[in-house]
Amino acid sequence: MKADPTFWLIARASGLTAYTLLTASVLAGLVLKSRPFRSLRPAAVTDTHRFLALLGLAAVAVHGAALLLDSTVRLTPLALVLPGAAGYRPAAVAAGVIAAELMLAVYASFSLRTRIGVRNWRRLHWAAYAIFAAATVHGLAAGTDTSRPWAFSLYLAALGSVVAAAAWRALAPPTLERRRPA
Amino acid sequence: MTPLYRIEIDRSLCSGFGACVDEASDAFRLENGTAVAVATSSDPRVLAAADACPMGAIVVSAIRQDAA
Repeated sequence: MKADPTFWLIARASGLTAYTLLTASVLAGLVLKSRPFRSLRPAAVTDTHRFLALLGLAAVAVHGAALLLDSTVRLTPLALVLPGAAGYRPAAVAAGVIAAELMLAVYASFSLRTRIGVRNWRRLHWAAYAIFAAATVHGLAAGTDTSRPWAFSLYLAALGSVVAAAAWRALAPPTLERRRPA
Repeated sequence: MTPLYRIEIDRSLCSGFGACVDEASDAFRLENGTAVAVATSSDPRVLAAADACPMGAIVVSAIRQDAA
């Protein structure tokens, strides 16, 4: 008898959803820093950036829960929290575990920023690049849809857009003017 | 030619990110998780501080173009 594929389908869909939301959150963060669209209100972009990250974390939680409930790759609860403990593609799964844990830490650090210090919070926020890189490696190497053109295109588009936005942030000259009209 | 800038912070928007303090520590500080600024400054870095605010909570206005 064929196994019910429901949780396997949910695991794959939620993984790709989490990656898409993470990408969108990173892009919103980069838009906030480099301000290519001056008409956007910074507060709205900040709220969007944080909300996308929260939705991404929710999708990661669904991804992990679905993998536990599914029997295709047989992951244990320990494998979801301890990098390298998975029997299935351990290095690739470890990249996903590290990305998820760092993502949670960076998101939670916002609420703890007065306790850990604003500068430490901002230093920790640089981990966003590592999170995106680890999530990309995880998706490409652990995902079973990577060989499909639509999935590979998704990874390529995400990587290309984040690299382009990060380059814009690094290379574009800062704009200092913010003056109230006389 | 020393411009003087008036600094205003919208406290309803400020979330205490501290980017302003990093940019212009002479003009800004954090108190109880909220940015506080001097009323006026001739330091042009206050413009960078306003630009760096993730909430857009800082308004800097040039109130004098020439030094007295």
